[in-house]
Amino acid sequence: MPVDSLALQLQEVTKRYGEFTAVNGLSLSVPPGCIFGFLGPNGAGKTTSIRMILEIIKPTSGSITVLGSSSALAVRKRIGYLPEEKGLYKKMKAWAIIAYFATLKGVDSRTAKKRAFELLERYGLGAFAEKKSETLSKGMGQKVQLLAALAHDPEFVILDEPFSGLDPVNQEVLEEIVVDLRRRGRTVLFSTHVMSHAERLCDRLSIMAGGRKIFEGTPAEARAMLPPRVRLRTTHSVAPLQQLPGVTTVRQLPDGAWELQLATGTDPQGILLACFEQRLVLSAFSAQAPALHDVFVHLVGDEAREVKLR
Amino acid sequence: MLHIAFLVAAREYLENLKTKGFWMGIIFFPLIWTLAIKVPVLIEKKGVPTRYFVVTDPSGKWKTLIDREVDHRHQREVLDELISHARRHLKRPADRADWLDHWSTTAALDEFIEKGGQAGFLKELDGLFEAGTPEFVEPRRHFQRTELPAEVTEEPRNTLVDRLRPWLKGEQKLQIQGEPVGLFAAVLIPEVVREAPKNSTKASDNNSNEGNIQFWSDNLADPALEQLISETVGRELRSAAYQARGMNQSAVQEIEAIRVPLVSLNPRKAAGEERVGLGDRIRQWIPSAFVYLLWVAVFVSSQMLLTSVIEEKSNRIIEVLLSSVTPEELMTGKLFGIALTGLTMLFLWIASAMGVLYLNTSKGSVAGTAENIPVDLLNLLQTTWLLPAFLGYFILGFLVFATFFLAMGSTCNTLKEAQNMMGIVMPVLIVPLLTIPFIPRDPNGTLARVLSWIPPFTPFVMMNRVTGHPPLIDVVGTLLLLGGFVAFEVWAAARIFRVGVLRTGQPPKWLEMARWLRSGA
Repeated sequence: MPVDSLALQLQEVTKRYGEFTAVNGLSLSVPPGCIFGFLGPNGAGKTTSIRMILEIIKPTSGSITVLGSSSALAVRKRIGYLPEEKGLYKKMKAWAIIAYFATLKGVDSRTAKKRAFELLERYGLGAFAEKKSETLSKGMGQKVQLLAALAHDPEFVILDEPFSGLDPVNQEVLEEIVVDLRRRGRTVLFSTHVMSHAERLCDRLSIMAGGRKIFEGTPAEARAMLPPRVRLRTTHSVAPLQQLPGVTTVRQLPDGAWELQLATGTDPQGILLACFEQRLVLSAFSAQAPALHDVFVHLVGDEAREVKLR
Repeated sequence: MLHIAFLVAAREYLENLKTKGFWMGIIFFPLIWTLAIKVPVLIEKKGVPTRYFVVTDPSGKWKTLIDREVDHRHQREVLDELISHARRHLKRPADRADWLDHWSTTAALDEFIEKGGQAGFLKELDGLFEAGTPEFVEPRRHFQRTELPAEVTEEPRNTLVDRLRPWLKGEQKLQIQGEPVGLFAAVLIPEVVREAPKNSTKASDNNSNEGNIQFWSDNLADPALEQLISETVGRELRSAAYQARGMNQSAVQEIEAIRVPLVSLNPRKAAGEERVGLGDRIRQWIPSAFVYLLWVAVFVSSQMLLTSVIEEKSNRIIEVLLSSVTPEELMTGKLFGIALTGLTMLFLWIASAMGVLYLNTSKGSVAGTAENIPVDLLNLLQTTWLLPAFLGYFILGFLVFATFFLAMGSTCNTLKEAQNMMGIVMPVLIVPLLTIPFIPRDPNGTLARVLSWIPPFTPFVMMNRVTGHPPLIDVVGTLLLLGGFVAFEVWAAARIFRVGVLRTGQPPKWLEMARWLRSGA
């Protein structure tokens, strides 16, 4: 896809702080009109990358093209941004905050005010429009901030950890907002370390760890990286199953169930048949394609743990 | 660029307007102004009741003298009030200006009493007052001598105070025209008043009180009566001493009345107007008041700037802002917003000061008199280039500090960190405050000239010098210097701001900030 028609392209982007390399040679392509998931454990370099995309900080090397421009500030009116750490002007009213950020993005003040009230009404905060932000609950405040990022109807929306801090109901509302944005042809890039959201929403995703990209593609492509698995429960010995063709490893999970990893192309049906032949008494048997969660743990598990322990 | 900065400034300004601190600041100064002018007058007129005192005087001659002095002082006040009343309410006060001036002299008091006092004075002006002129109300007497309470006998004299003590301590009240009033003081004059030695009006150290006039009162705050007694008796003693030495009393009085005919002249004023009036003296000092205002404005705004930057930083709003505006736009906007807040405050202060002065100005008062100070001040503010000069240095001076505080605030995460850094800045802010009294005395001296060329002090010192006719080079030069310094500061602050605002953790060291300046990252 030519660069001009991409919503975002990063080429070999690196950011160093003295000795420390926060982002290392990151390349990404985000086509327009899609939902792009930016996955990775804490400290993977997601927020730094997002700040560079928004030109809040400058990369040490590499090039970034946002909406066809080499400067995000030049096209800032077409971008909406919700940062990871959420905060609002405490003494300002909810509508005024939304309207203020919209005017900074070029919306005239009358339209901005009207739109602020419309958005608050639409997302169930109409009664709080005239309330100072310090009186809102955390979830409400976060919603107000999201609305502030969207009030100027941007083409490209960047959300840094948008789901953190929201209750399940509001997480669902947020998912709806994101899907709605795509339906209207907008591009959404969001970062998260919660895989279930990415699984449900993303058209494409990228996984980062330790400042490097370790995967970029569709969720299906990600899942295909892991072999199929079978999970079963039995009181008998599973030793005979280890010998079966197509079974690569057998291990017991912490809950007592057994997990068999299969070679690509192996039919789980064959394993079930073999169990009957071996007269294993099964209390449970399931064949599942790997979840994004598994792919994530598989790809970055060691690194994430290392980060945690450090 | 400017449009965005304007939006930032507008939000900053409107939000500041909503804070309690702003309105308290606005109200505080006019309140002080008004109180400073009104309260002493009010206390004088209404607050202090007539004070009753008793005098014991075995010789009998002092009572009469004291009564006369008390009455004279009261009549002087009545006369002064009558003059004010006439100036305020006469149809054409100018026609009677000379006549009124004549009454202001010291010698006129005897004539006033002789010609019937208040009644005689008002009769003279009968029919000359405007319609609707309020009735003249005689001011309250400050002091009034009264007789000993009926229960108290004068003899034996050495224990009189013990008998009077309940009244002096307020436990008992005097009955004056059926009203209970407190006894303010008891004055015990001995048979023979001892003449205190030269340079000492105080009683001798021995506790015998022998020959001393005893002034008994539990009110130590109001020395007026004590002084009245001491002056009256002293004058009489001196007069007696002159006579005893065979000196001609009237000759002595004439000699004592000699005044040095000194007039202050200012060579810079137009020919014929060189006389230095009260207005000129005020003009010399008024810049100090302005310097102080600038100082307060800088101090108050510094808090606003720091709080405003740190709020955005600690709430991480800054990140959203920086995805929408450049650091330069954000900084410019904030500076404008806060400067506008400061100017609004200043404007309201000056406006309210002028308002208070205007309301306290009475028609027809004479230039150079104390009563005319408000008029002199008003003329000064309206006619000289003081106000524009003040505004110029105010704005530049304000920017010097505001820009600095903005950059500083951007490197801190909490108000506490910022306050620690303030500790380093405070000495710089204290210096101009300390120089306020010295600069006008020697506006073109070495100290003033040197300080003028040190940018953080320039606005304060130069404002204080503007009425002292500084050399043109100083004015133009320091304005250019200040402008250049502000430009440099804005550039440097934008760089520090850019790095500082996204920084978390410990505030940076000064050296580190210097590196940001060089690298810009």
